[in-house]
Amino acid sequence: MAKLELDGICKGYDRPILDRLSLTVEEGEFFVIVGPSGIGKTTLLRCVAGLEVLDAGRVIFGGKDVTRVPPYRRNAAMTFESYALYPHMTVFENIASPLRARKVDKATIEKSVTDVARLLRIEQLLDRRPHEVSGGQKQRTALGRTLVAKPDVFLLDEPISHLDAKIRHELRRQFHTLQELRRVATVYVTHDYAEALSLGDRIGVMGNGGLVQIGSAREVFERPNNIFVARHLGQPSINEVACSISDSGGQITLQSASGNFVFAAGGAQRGLLQKAKGDVLVGIRPQHVRVANGAATGQIAEAKVEAFEALGATGVLIAEVGGIALTVLTSPEDDYEPGQPIRLALDVDQFLYFDPAQGNNLQTKAA
Amino acid sequence: MTQSNYKLVKILLLLFLGIWLIFTLFPLYFMIVTSLKPVEEINRMIPTFWPETMKFNNYAGIFADPGSLKSLVDSVIVSVTNTALSLFLGTMAGYALARWIRGVIGENLAFWILSNRMFPPVAVIIPMFFLFDSMPWGTDSYFSLIVLYLVFNLPLATWLMMVFFRDAPRELEEAAYLDGYTPFRAFFKVTLPLVFPGMISVAMLCWIFAWNEYLFANLLTGTTVKTFPVHIPTFTLGSQTLWNLVMAFSLVAMLPPVILFIVLRRYMVRGLSLGVVKG
Repeated sequence: MAKLELDGICKGYDRPILDRLSLTVEEGEFFVIVGPSGIGKTTLLRCVAGLEVLDAGRVIFGGKDVTRVPPYRRNAAMTFESYALYPHMTVFENIASPLRARKVDKATIEKSVTDVARLLRIEQLLDRRPHEVSGGQKQRTALGRTLVAKPDVFLLDEPISHLDAKIRHELRRQFHTLQELRRVATVYVTHDYAEALSLGDRIGVMGNGGLVQIGSAREVFERPNNIFVARHLGQPSINEVACSISDSGGQITLQSASGNFVFAAGGAQRGLLQKAKGDVLVGIRPQHVRVANGAATGQIAEAKVEAFEALGATGVLIAEVGGIALTVLTSPEDDYEPGQPIRLALDVDQFLYFDPAQGNNLQTKAA
Repeated sequence: MTQSNYKLVKILLLLFLGIWLIFTLFPLYFMIVTSLKPVEEINRMIPTFWPETMKFNNYAGIFADPGSLKSLVDSVIVSVTNTALSLFLGTMAGYALARWIRGVIGENLAFWILSNRMFPPVAVIIPMFFLFDSMPWGTDSYFSLIVLYLVFNLPLATWLMMVFFRDAPRELEEAAYLDGYTPFRAFFKVTLPLVFPGMISVAMLCWIFAWNEYLFANLLTGTTVKTFPVHIPTFTLGSQTLWNLVMAFSLVAMLPPVILFIVLRRYMVRGLSLGVVKG
């Protein structure tokens, strides 16, 4: 039971992976790190666990500097992406392993393991070996092994990414309700944005070198500070339109690079003109464009249907607007034919504006 | 048409297998038969393929002969001690090479160790003799044979164990560290059980070499220590060779490896395929 602090940690191999990353995860906090594969999320966890030697910086568990403490004395528990279950031991022995390492007496081990197994609903599997149980059960065994240890810091590396959707959903619910996880500092790594938004008390979006943005699910989703963050969160992903910006009689007008998609920015965007220096990258989430019915008001763009996918809960429409392909979220009951002309209502107040060179959000940065 | 072709192939295959079986099994058969013959019957110009008088007293003679028994005991002492040492040192060295000594140094060191196994043993036989002769324990001792066989078995054991350790997932060891095991305990709890089938294979290979080795044993030892391959030639007398005793003794000496192979076959196959199929 302790908070986790990372103070300017650096780690690199042939190129820097983590560059002066600082982060505090409070006791009881569920912190989710989301980012594309290969960006260094696992490396970060391994640094916290002590499996990697830092190039610089400090790792602090509950006020105690553990930077030079080897992993077996850190009291951190970690699940590996591959689960890393011991193939020659039964499920029971796997879960009991941290307790045996600490030389806990037999009766206590028996009780702790059975309790955890019941919690994770794998108590009927205790005598089996890892290769005799399913993927979801392996994952729960791995989780059980970390739960019995009662560690100071929980590190979960893509624990449910490789499972099928149904078990994933079930385990996601389990993460919400596990009190054991709610009492310690937890760092959870995933590449799935929905998992991140659903589970995290706070979310850190990881880019090259470190965390690009840290915030609540709502913050990072609605106010991404960089196009990288916006790009990574949301499915279908955000539309990016390179535009030139101009002032035409008190109205800020944006014109796509291809020239034929023109719209006016909302009234709140006066400051954009100064910051954008002529060019701006507009981020349009698919849910902020609607197919307009006859009487729609506001900003309307004429478009043509390119493709339509009905996905059960939603429909995804690819519309062509003045040479730009826009992804639009619609109702799945709708039906569109390719080539059919439609009108799109633009919810311009929700659009995001980024600096085309650095990708920084022009609304939040230095506003 | 295809049906009869298929039949033809099958017949040819069976024929080939039959011939191959004769080639491999006949010597064994003839050994057994010869070991049961009395001495008058062994040197017939037209050999008998079934003993005219079957006697088991060749075996009885071997077990009654202190020299023969001692040679078997010597072989056991030398081969078992050597195997234990090879396995212990090879496992430690292999683990170090697989996990801790990395990069250019590790690669070259590993290759150099293996290259020790590449020269023909005969190349070093004379230097070895003088080397051991200058040692305080001399040439004719258990110690000299045990140490000498390490020259051949240790590179093999080290190299194979290194390959097995490289194939054992590192993550399991790391998981053990996070469970709270020190590197030393993690090695015994997690890593060693993973390579156990490999260790059995390595032990068998080392043991077979030490058990069967003749050349060096013959050169270095022969009086105080006499392993069974060195003892067999003593059945050759001035006027004739007692083939019946040679065969009986060889069969007795063959028994331990055969039994061990049958018992440990399961592990052998798993060990040799350890690198192929990842668990």
